[in-house]
Amino acid sequence: MQALANDVEIRGVYKRIGRNVILDGIDLEVKQGELLTLLGPSGCGKTSTLNVIAGFLDIDQGDVFIKGQRVTDVPAYKRGLGMVFQTYSLFPHMTVYENLDFGLSLRKVAKDEKKRRIQKALELVKMTGLENRYPRELSGGQRQRVAIARALVVQPTLLLLDEPLSNLDAKLRHELRAEIKRLQKEVGVTTIFVTHDQEEALSMSDRIVVMNKGKIEQVGTPTEIYAHPRTEFVFQFIGKSNQLEGTVKSRDSRMICVELAEGGQVLVEAENVMGSDRSCAVGDAVKLYIRPEKLTIQAAENEAPHYNAHAATIVQLNYLGSAWEIEVSMLGKRMQVLRPSIESGWTIGTEVMVGWNPSDMMIVKK
Amino acid sequence: MEPVRYDDRQEIISLPLQPAAARKRRNWKKYLYAGLLLLPLLLFILGFFVVPMLYILYLSFIEMKGETNAVYSIGNYIQFFTDPYYLHSLWLTIKVSLYTVIVSLLLGYPVALTMAKCSPRVRGLLTLLVASPLLISIVVRNFGWYLLLLPNGTIHQLLTSLGITESPPKLLFSEAGVVIGLSNAYLPFMILSIATSLYNIDPSLEKAAAILGAGPLRSFVSITLPLSLPGIVSGIVLVFSMSMSAYVTPALMGGANVPMLPVVAYDQIINLLRWTYGSAVSYVLLGITLAIVTIFTRMMERGRYREVFR
Repeated sequence: MQALANDVEIRGVYKRIGRNVILDGIDLEVKQGELLTLLGPSGCGKTSTLNVIAGFLDIDQGDVFIKGQRVTDVPAYKRGLGMVFQTYSLFPHMTVYENLDFGLSLRKVAKDEKKRRIQKALELVKMTGLENRYPRELSGGQRQRVAIARALVVQPTLLLLDEPLSNLDAKLRHELRAEIKRLQKEVGVTTIFVTHDQEEALSMSDRIVVMNKGKIEQVGTPTEIYAHPRTEFVFQFIGKSNQLEGTVKSRDSRMICVELAEGGQVLVEAENVMGSDRSCAVGDAVKLYIRPEKLTIQAAENEAPHYNAHAATIVQLNYLGSAWEIEVSMLGKRMQVLRPSIESGWTIGTEVMVGWNPSDMMIVKK
Repeated sequence: MEPVRYDDRQEIISLPLQPAAARKRRNWKKYLYAGLLLLPLLLFILGFFVVPMLYILYLSFIEMKGETNAVYSIGNYIQFFTDPYYLHSLWLTIKVSLYTVIVSLLLGYPVALTMAKCSPRVRGLLTLLVASPLLISIVVRNFGWYLLLLPNGTIHQLLTSLGITESPPKLLFSEAGVVIGLSNAYLPFMILSIATSLYNIDPSLEKAAAILGAGPLRSFVSITLPLSLPGIVSGIVLVFSMSMSAYVTPALMGGANVPMLPVVAYDQIINLLRWTYGSAVSYVLLGITLAIVTIFTRMMERGRYREVFR
């Protein structure tokens, strides 16, 4: 037995099904008490990773440790975890109470203790008084609350959440998102959350693991992932992006100057190089990325406030309520700008100046 | 409390736009078209099922006094329930049908479970295999069993030559033979109806049970088995009622030793020309079968696992 500081450790996990590599060398550590999100598009391996931890998926290579114990060959029913599924997965022939009782009875918890713990778990998810309902008689949100209570009532070493919100409507999803976050901190249980929704991941997680094609692209806090994506995939997956292309003209330790394909130059901070080796030399063909809300926009006659400023023409204005989405044509490309307000009189065809800070633009070798 | 959904509000707004009378008229037309489409089938059922059944019911209440004197009475039914031969035959019919249900349930459930667990391709193949006996006439299949089960037939020879037993049990012209024949005939119905209900079980339920600490056996007993009850019940009802009314198999493989009610009714009508009594026997069979099936399904639907039948 090894003494590990982490609640979960996954080392070099490799899994192939047929000719498809599902997990291609996954190394992951989950710290005690944190809410870690596995984020990625469908088929990226996030659910497989969760299933490996749960014990539902045998692996070809690698090891899984939970609380320092090697559990690679331990079946799911002996791992003592809690899990919430996308389809709620409440036992339809059991009442809410019986659903919660199922795991406790298997653990041979004394009757009074069982009653107390079930009551507490239902209080936690605000479902007191519905003990005798059958799942059929509950709404989607209520079912998922019961599912969460059922997972927590057994006091699991680890809580696994497999896209638990994706079957709910938008309003409920928001509500439960906050609820799960609160619960997780209240109970303090180490939690692994799987989702394909980047907003969900950003708002809930302590740390996010972005996955793609069976590999981990980046592990970091939500702000790190959003503001300092390490790969092109992460940048594009998390949030909207504008893209430009060009060639590196010159660079020093602080700044990179790129000659755009459509003419004009932009400055990018040297720290913002993405990609596995993070290399970027003079003469390299590169792609540049910037998020819509990092672009500033102002009347054309004003003086440029940034190093990077280019003339542009408004081609479309979309009012989103909380913000304006302004589509501009700049350097022959369409760019999206997100601003809380626009100046009165701006309309389609207005000449404007679009600028941005070199520290907000990401660069990657093509 | 469920919040008011946007859809509900729309419904309220759209109501006045569609006068009740117009909707009623459209519904009326819809029923008319549906009725016209069903008419040929309804006529067929009426002419070739309902009318004959009513005629047999009518016949069963006619008692023959001598050769030509017929009176309306319930004498046929009184005779049935007072004659030990017929009561024994009724009991025999129920007993053989129950054995058939038990045998096909025990043999069928593991097959259905396998079908539910395997890949779609293997499942297709298994479905074909399970259903394939239905492609062969029941008479042909029964003759096959006849040859196998004959005294000194294949099975007897096998048992004696392997030294398992000196005097093998009587298989043909016994209850055992009829149960074997009926189970073989009706097993596909049992398997397919159980399999259908197993397919409907969300596979993540088993995962949920496992993560809560239930091993494979516990998970089967607490989750899979109760949730497959609708399939088990419909399988039992199908096999039981088909066994109760089976004629070919008891006649061929039971012979005079296993006089099940359909055989008795046939005998009365065709051989003894006692149409009215044979009709009463048929209706007793129908009534008893319906009663048992109804009581059984009611019990299941109101029992411990009533929720799975909702």
